[in-house]
Amino acid sequence: MMIDYAWLIPVFPIIGFLIISLVPKKWLIWEGGAPYIIGMSTASFVLSILVIIDVLNGHTLTGPDSPRMTWLSAGSFELTFGIWIDQLTAVMLLVVSLVGTLVVIYSVGYMHGEGETKRRYYAEIALFIGVMFGLVLADNFVEMFIFWELVGLCSYLLIGFWKHKPSAASAAKRAFIVTRVGDIMLLSGLIILLRYVGTLDFSELFAEGSLEGSGMSSGMATLSMILLFGGAIGKSAQFPLHEWLPDAMEGPTTVSALIHAATMVKAGVYLVARSYPMLVQTPDALAFIAIIGGITALIAATNALVAVDIKRVLAYSTISQLGYMMLALGAGGLIITGLMHDGGHDGLGAGYSSGIFHMMNHAFFKALLFLAAGSVIHAVGTNDMLKMGGLGKTMKITSITMLIGSLSIAGIPPFSGFWSKDEVLASTFHAFEDAGSYSTVFLILWIMGVATAFMTAFYMFRMWFMTFTGKQRSDAHAHESPVSMTVPLMILASLAAVSGFAFFIGRGFFSFMSDSISSTIGSSVAVEAIHPLESLGEIFTSPLTYASLIVSAVGLFTAYSIYYKGAFSVSRLASGVTGKLQKLLAERYYISWFYDAFAYNIIYGISLVADIFDRYVIDGAINGMAWLSSKSGAFIRRSQTGQVQNYVAAIVIGGCLLLLFLIVFEWGEW
Amino acid sequence: MLEGAQSFAQDLLSGLPVLSIMIFLPLIGAILVFLAGRSMSIIRVISLIFSGIPLIFAVLLIFAFSWGAIPDGEAFADPQFYEEYEWIPSLGVSFAVGIDGISLPLLFITPLLTFVSILFSWDVDRRPREYFGLILLMQVGVTGVFVLLDYLVFYIFWEIVLIPMYFLIGIWGGPNKDYASIKFFIYTHVASLVMLLAIMAIYFNAGATTFNMMELGDAASGFTRGFQIIAFGALLFGFGVKMPMVPFHTWLPDAHVEAPTAGSVLLAGLLLKMGGYGLIRVAIPTLPEGASYLAPLMAVIGIVSILYAAVVCLAQKDLKKMVAYSSVSHMGFVMVGFATLSYVGIVAGVFVMFAHGLVTAVLFMTCGVVQHHCGTRMIPKLGGISEKMPKLATYMTAGFLASLGLPGLVMFAAEFMTFWAIFNNWGLWLLVPILSVAITAGYYLWALQRSMFGPLTDKIETENIHDANWYESAPMAILIALIALFGILPAIMIDRIGDAVTIILRAIGGG
Amino acid sequence: MIPMIDWLIFSSLLMAVGAYGVLTARNGILVLMSIEVMLNAANVSLVTFSAYSTELHGYPDAMGQIFALASMTVAAAEVAIGLAIFLVLYKRHDSIDVTKINILRW
Repeated sequence: MMIDYAWLIPVFPIIGFLIISLVPKKWLIWEGGAPYIIGMSTASFVLSILVIIDVLNGHTLTGPDSPRMTWLSAGSFELTFGIWIDQLTAVMLLVVSLVGTLVVIYSVGYMHGEGETKRRYYAEIALFIGVMFGLVLADNFVEMFIFWELVGLCSYLLIGFWKHKPSAASAAKRAFIVTRVGDIMLLSGLIILLRYVGTLDFSELFAEGSLEGSGMSSGMATLSMILLFGGAIGKSAQFPLHEWLPDAMEGPTTVSALIHAATMVKAGVYLVARSYPMLVQTPDALAFIAIIGGITALIAATNALVAVDIKRVLAYSTISQLGYMMLALGAGGLIITGLMHDGGHDGLGAGYSSGIFHMMNHAFFKALLFLAAGSVIHAVGTNDMLKMGGLGKTMKITSITMLIGSLSIAGIPPFSGFWSKDEVLASTFHAFEDAGSYSTVFLILWIMGVATAFMTAFYMFRMWFMTFTGKQRSDAHAHESPVSMTVPLMILASLAAVSGFAFFIGRGFFSFMSDSISSTIGSSVAVEAIHPLESLGEIFTSPLTYASLIVSAVGLFTAYSIYYKGAFSVSRLASGVTGKLQKLLAERYYISWFYDAFAYNIIYGISLVADIFDRYVIDGAINGMAWLSSKSGAFIRRSQTGQVQNYVAAIVIGGCLLLLFLIVFEWGEW
Repeated sequence: MLEGAQSFAQDLLSGLPVLSIMIFLPLIGAILVFLAGRSMSIIRVISLIFSGIPLIFAVLLIFAFSWGAIPDGEAFADPQFYEEYEWIPSLGVSFAVGIDGISLPLLFITPLLTFVSILFSWDVDRRPREYFGLILLMQVGVTGVFVLLDYLVFYIFWEIVLIPMYFLIGIWGGPNKDYASIKFFIYTHVASLVMLLAIMAIYFNAGATTFNMMELGDAASGFTRGFQIIAFGALLFGFGVKMPMVPFHTWLPDAHVEAPTAGSVLLAGLLLKMGGYGLIRVAIPTLPEGASYLAPLMAVIGIVSILYAAVVCLAQKDLKKMVAYSSVSHMGFVMVGFATLSYVGIVAGVFVMFAHGLVTAVLFMTCGVVQHHCGTRMIPKLGGISEKMPKLATYMTAGFLASLGLPGLVMFAAEFMTFWAIFNNWGLWLLVPILSVAITAGYYLWALQRSMFGPLTDKIETENIHDANWYESAPMAILIALIALFGILPAIMIDRIGDAVTIILRAIGGG
Repeated sequence: MIPMIDWLIFSSLLMAVGAYGVLTARNGILVLMSIEVMLNAANVSLVTFSAYSTELHGYPDAMGQIFALASMTVAAAEVAIGLAIFLVLYKRHDSIDVTKINILRW
């Protein structure tokens, strides 16, 4: 069984990392050692596929029997390393290994001109992919947290890859610190769990009623889950910690593709999906997740409307889509919780599955979009869409693949985004129907989701039309990219086109995913298998589907008429209320500004005050004591006249006083 | 295989007075260095050999150390490799040495850091005999402190440490060295005297028959509660200044700013650990009731140190001063860990000391390289240095990441265990010290961004800057390899620490 | 036999004379001589107690006389050093007036 060798999946890229960082320079045969990394990530990919086939055949590696080793133990405190493979892991393995391998291949062309630093680039990319594999294979939260932090490290190193650029160094730092704020919450949540449940192993935490059974109050349980989600807020760039992701565009585009599609930000979604068996015990935390997700989706989409940097548009769209995933996961969880009390229901795992489904599809189309954008940037040498235009003629492959990606993310059938986005909105709507006290909230969230769908279609096609149609606005000689770049684009484009069909192929993606929670959530909630064709029928008969389809089409058409036909000039909006709104959006709601001000004025201000306090008050007190003793010494030393007779006089007077003392007090005893 | 290694190492060391050798070999080395002629190479080689042999012994000791079986009924740590020689029988003073799990990690980093400091100081040509001789003398003192089991001799070695450090700062220091060295000496000496007072009080209160730590530990049950609290308070002050804890920490940044790099490495890597070691070796097991009465105070001091020092770090413009304050912050973890008076907390505290010793050495070395090669350590004057010094930038990044608690490097396990212990004892108060995780990342990465990354600075002459020399790279590479090794396999140390802590907790009567 | 108290009074008077000399003399040699007088006052009482030891506690005790001899030896050495110091002082300062010599002041 290949599944028993799954631990090799993260080991391959990490070996690649070690090879590249440690061997002498002359052994790095070609392109800074790229062949090693391509080989290693391909090996991981092949092994991942074999493991996925095992999972499709119903083999999983979960529970206490999975292989593990003790990493650290001190009394009641024990940390272990192990492997956990279920359907969710399989999806993540597919996404990470496929996108990772394609990105590495693409890098050969994209990073060709980098020179010496390529070595560092490939080493860091290999480590990045390796630790992400480690993260998805972990069988307990400590192991996961360790890789989680290492993923953060790699993104820090890669975002700041062009370290001579001040903006890159700053963005890397910001990404690390902001995600670390999330990590603090995650760490606190984990420590609470460890304290109460006594272990962070999935097999025990995912047992039914594990939180209540540990003697946690429901408030503490909810707090721990919200703190856990705090990690995902940082990592997956959810509101209000989402501003690091657009800044993270300072890294090479390949890195952005990896971060957005496969590694960094998907870790947060994975964390939430992985924690599902615990989350369903705390409905309030689930509602919190859904609300944050909905807000993030909407806010990021509005920001994308006015961005002119092509990578920034994509970055905001990623945040927005991640918001969708969180929304679906939260909503789906609430449906399950609600129904845990009311008995079984058809399609219980729909919210969960649609979140994962969207994550998978998003991985393909977002990797595609980023790599296509990278191809464009490679050709014209700028990120600014205002300087692009008319590239469709010279860059046929890039423009067509990017069109497929845009159609997919906009939710136009039959491309992959349509299937998953539709299901995300459908689960939100079901939550409105089923979620009891939260139903009003979910109605609002559903409306926000639909509005986001409209905006997504609009800004994606705004980007596409601005880039590939119309007149060329720069004098750069654009040309199609080399084969190593276009081949990954074509592979990803075909995946973005068809990966949605997983919805109804075979057993269907949803019943496949439902297995992963039905085995862990417990017997009282039977997550029933959803028949793919049945749900297919449901999709095309539901008015919800047509609602989301129509708004997407309207968004697409609006973009077409403004940016292709020029039916309406955007510059007319640049004044008055709309102008102010535009400025607000362009300034990203001043969130980034607020964080900068907070960090620089408040935190740094406090530290300056503390420094002065330290120097003048605490140290001042010490130096004051030293000053006091030396001054009093200077005063007292005046009694040392150097005149021998003074000293003798003092001795004589002292002797007489002693005598007198003896005479007065001891006389009687003589 | 591990058992084979253990019995092999035990066979190798059997019959040797290994701890005495480790203490006095550097002394012989120091004398030889003082007597050596003017030849730089002979001086360096002698110092390397005489700090290197104890290092080999220390590595063997890690293998030979036996653990996992706790003897019953002992109220005090059961020392291994025990040696005892009578010295002043009329006062009950003897030269007794032995190690347990708490001494072992610190005993390992003592010769290690001395060895790498000597290597790092390869190009010191100002009065080299005195310089290397004093470093070796310091090794004598610190090794003694970590293995001695007799209070009076312990105190003597404790004071021996001060003298070489005073001269290292005072002779080879920076522009303000006189102020810094005298401040260091007087401040820590006052603390030592308070500690001596407390030790004397314990000695007389237990009947003035012996200075042996284990026997005095057994006598502890006879102390009254009031005496324990007062004596513990005095010891807490004595060790707290040494660690150092806010608000008694201001000697540290001054001393570090002026000290030569090797001096800083030894000061932060070893001398600070003496304070933490004293707390867990002397104060807590001998005065358990005092400890549990003052534990909340210790916790508050520790948490304040963690956060306050981290915040002050953010404002520092001098790289080395920032690293110095970060030491205060990390030693706060030690204090909090001990204050929990729980198994995990104390193990974590000891492990933080070990981890911090390795990490801070790298940090001070990177600061030293920046100073030597760029002529300044001021962050606003630096910038884009990584372009000229890629190796140094790598070491510095690795060191900073280790210090901010990145998993896979040694500090992570230590901090994680401390946080767990804090939550276990004080619940949601955890949310206060855990903030330091973000602040720490903030000041390190910000400093890295401003000094190493971005465009090359024009505020200093950058034409002739070259990368770290081999003797500067090698020590940092060795230490980073160890940081990674103990980060990936922290169990090597943590397993060995455990037994001693169990025995101490038995004395406290808690768990 | 002369009563013991007479010897002791004599010794006290000698001590007082010596102390007066030390306190008032400006000439260093005079100070030294006065110190000698004080030392001899102490010697007188040592010898006195030794000589009357049989009366005081019933057995003869020569300890006082031994100490007196020892202190005379010490005094001789001391005077030698003292005179040497004053010689050096005279060479450097052309004076042995003790009120003018305060070079050991703080």
